[in-house]
Amino acid sequence: MIEVDGLEKHFGKRHEIKAVAGATFRAEDGEITGLLGPNGAGKTTLLRTLATLIAPDAGSATVDGLDVVRDRYAVRSRIGVLSDARGLYARLTARENVRYYGRLHGLGGAALDARVEALLTQFGLSALADRRAHGFSQGERMKVAIARALVHDPATILLDEPTNGLDIMSIRSLRDLLRGLRQAGKCILFSTHVMQEVAALCDTVVILGHGRVVASGSGVELMNRTGRASLEDAFVSLLGSGEGLAA
Amino acid sequence: MSGATRILTVAGKEVLDTIRDRRAMLVTLLTAIAAGPVFLALIFNMTASQADKARELKLPVVGQENAPALIAFLERSQVVIQTAPADYEAKIRAGELDVALWIDPAFEADVAAGKAGTVRLVYDRSRDRARVAINSAESLLAAYNRLWGTQRLLLRGIATEVARPLKVEDIDLATPQQSGSLILFLVAFYGLFASMMGGMAPALDASAGERERGSLEPLLATPITPLQLALGKWAAIGIFDAVVVVLTLIGFYLTLNFAPLPAIGVPFLFGATELARFLWILAPLIALLSALLLYVGMRGRSLKEAQANVGVLLFVFTMLPFVQLMAQKREPAWLLWAPISAQYTLLSRALRGDAIPAIDWLQSALAPALVTVIALFAVARLLSRETVLGARS
Repeated sequence: MIEVDGLEKHFGKRHEIKAVAGATFRAEDGEITGLLGPNGAGKTTLLRTLATLIAPDAGSATVDGLDVVRDRYAVRSRIGVLSDARGLYARLTARENVRYYGRLHGLGGAALDARVEALLTQFGLSALADRRAHGFSQGERMKVAIARALVHDPATILLDEPTNGLDIMSIRSLRDLLRGLRQAGKCILFSTHVMQEVAALCDTVVILGHGRVVASGSGVELMNRTGRASLEDAFVSLLGSGEGLAA
Repeated sequence: MSGATRILTVAGKEVLDTIRDRRAMLVTLLTAIAAGPVFLALIFNMTASQADKARELKLPVVGQENAPALIAFLERSQVVIQTAPADYEAKIRAGELDVALWIDPAFEADVAAGKAGTVRLVYDRSRDRARVAINSAESLLAAYNRLWGTQRLLLRGIATEVARPLKVEDIDLATPQQSGSLILFLVAFYGLFASMMGGMAPALDASAGERERGSLEPLLATPITPLQLALGKWAAIGIFDAVVVVLTLIGFYLTLNFAPLPAIGVPFLFGATELARFLWILAPLIALLSALLLYVGMRGRSLKEAQANVGVLLFVFTMLPFVQLMAQKREPAWLLWAPISAQYTLLSRALRGDAIPAIDWLQSALAPALVTVIALFAVARLLSRETVLGARS
C-alpha cells in the first residue's frame, strides 16, 4: 500500500518550480491505481519520490508503512520500478539484464535462474532470452525492462508511462500482465496521460494537475461527480479546458 | 545480502559489459598493447642504423689528390672515400648528404712551408640523422691531427707529453642498462600510458554511458547504495586497467627478449622481475586513475561530454613524464610524493636495475591512495544527488 500525504517537491535555484505541490492520495493492495495528468503535472516527480530517487521538500510518502526517505533501502527491496528512463545494457542478453537486477536484489543460485526463466517465458521473451539487447525492438526492450523490475517479486509496482512507444499488441499484453499482478494482490501504481489506459485498467484514478491531486476515485465516481458521460470529459472538466494548452 | 556481494555483482557485470564492447577492446588493445612494441622496434632499428652509419662512414671528399696521406689514413680507418658532387653544399643543406670534406688545393704547399694544412668539414648540425656521421668524421680528423703531431715530435726527439700536458681518460659510469635512455624512457612511459588508457573505455561506459543510455535511474532504485555502486564500478575499471597494463608489459617483455631486434650494444634488462616490479609500482596509479576516470565520467551528462573531460585529464597526465624527461636537473626529493612523477621515477629506477626501498614505494602510493578514496566518495555523492537523474520530465 502506498500513502502519500501533503507531498511537495520543488526545483530551481529558489525553489520556484513546484513540480509537486501538496499531493495526497492512497494506492491500495490488489488494485491498479492510475496517476492521470497532462504533461508536466508532476507524475514523474511523484513516482521518482516514491521510488526513493528524490527526497520530498515537504509532506511524506510511505510504502507499506515504510518512509521513502528514512527507510529508503527497505522501500527499494519492496518496490519494482519501471522508471521514466528504462535503458537496458545493450551488450548483455535479455537474461543477463534481468539476472543482474535479481542479484542486486539479493537473489542468487537456482532460485534466481528459475525466476528469470519464468519471467522470460511469461513475457514471451524465451526466443530472445540469450540474444543481446542491442537489436531489440521498443516493445521487446520494454518487456525486458518490466521483467527486470519484477525479478524480486515486489509487493508494490511503480510504472512511469509504461505504454509509451508500444504498439497495440504490446499494450494489450501489458494490460493482461498488470491484471495478473492485481490478481496476485500487488499494489500497482502507474502514470499515464492516455485516457484509454485508465478506462481499461484502473480501479482508482488519481487526477493530477499542477502538482496537486485534483480528484480521485473510480472512473464511474469521477463521471458521476462531474456529471459527464465519459472519463475524458470528466478529466477535462476537472482540470479546466485551458489545461491541455497550458501544459 | 552483504555489501561485498553487491559490489562484486556490479564489478562482474561491468567487466562482462566491457569485454563485449568489441570496438573499445580493439582500440585499447591496439593503442596500449601493440603500439608499444612496434614503437620499440622502430627505435631499435633507428639506433642500430645510426650505429651502422658510424661504423661505415661514407665521406665525399673534394680534392682527394691534395692530401693523399690523410686519405690513406681515413681509408685505413674503414672510411669509404667518395668523390664529392659539385653541388655538395646544396645536397647537405637538403639533407641528402650528411657531411663532406673539402681539402685545400694548397694543402701540400702549406705543409711543406711549415704551415698548417687546411681542410673543411661541411655539415648541417641541425640534422639529427647526420650527427653520427659528423661526430665520427670530426673525431677521425682529430685523431689524424694527433697522430701527425706526435710523429713530428717523435722525429725531433721530444716526448709527446710536452705538447699534450693534459691526459683525459673517459670513464663512463653508466651500467650497460643505463645506456639507451630513450628506450628506457619509452618503456617507463608506456607502462604509465597503459595504466591511463586501459581504464578509459570501461570508465566512460560505466559512468556517462550509464547515464546516457538511461540505465542509471532504474539501477539507483535497487537496494544497492551509491558507495557500493561506486566501489563495484571502480573495481571493474581497476581490474580491466591492470589487465591492459599486464598485457602491455608482456608485449614489451616478449619484444625485448624474443623479437629479432638488431643488436645495438645495449643489453637491456626487462625480464620477469622487472615486469613484476612494474606492476607493483603502477598498482597505486591504477587505483587512482580508475577512481578519477570514474568521477570525471560520472560528471558528464553524455558520453561526448565525458570523453572531452577525460581527454583533458589524460593529456595533462601523459605530459608529466615528458616534462620530467626534458628537465635535465636532478630530481627533487618531493617528486616521490607526486603521483605519476613518482611512478615514472620508480619505473626508471627499476629499469636501471636500482633497488627500490619499501619506504619509497609507500611514499609514492600515499597520495594516489588518498585521492582514490576521496574520488570514490565523490562518485558516491554524485550518485546520491538528484541531478544525476538528468532532465526532469
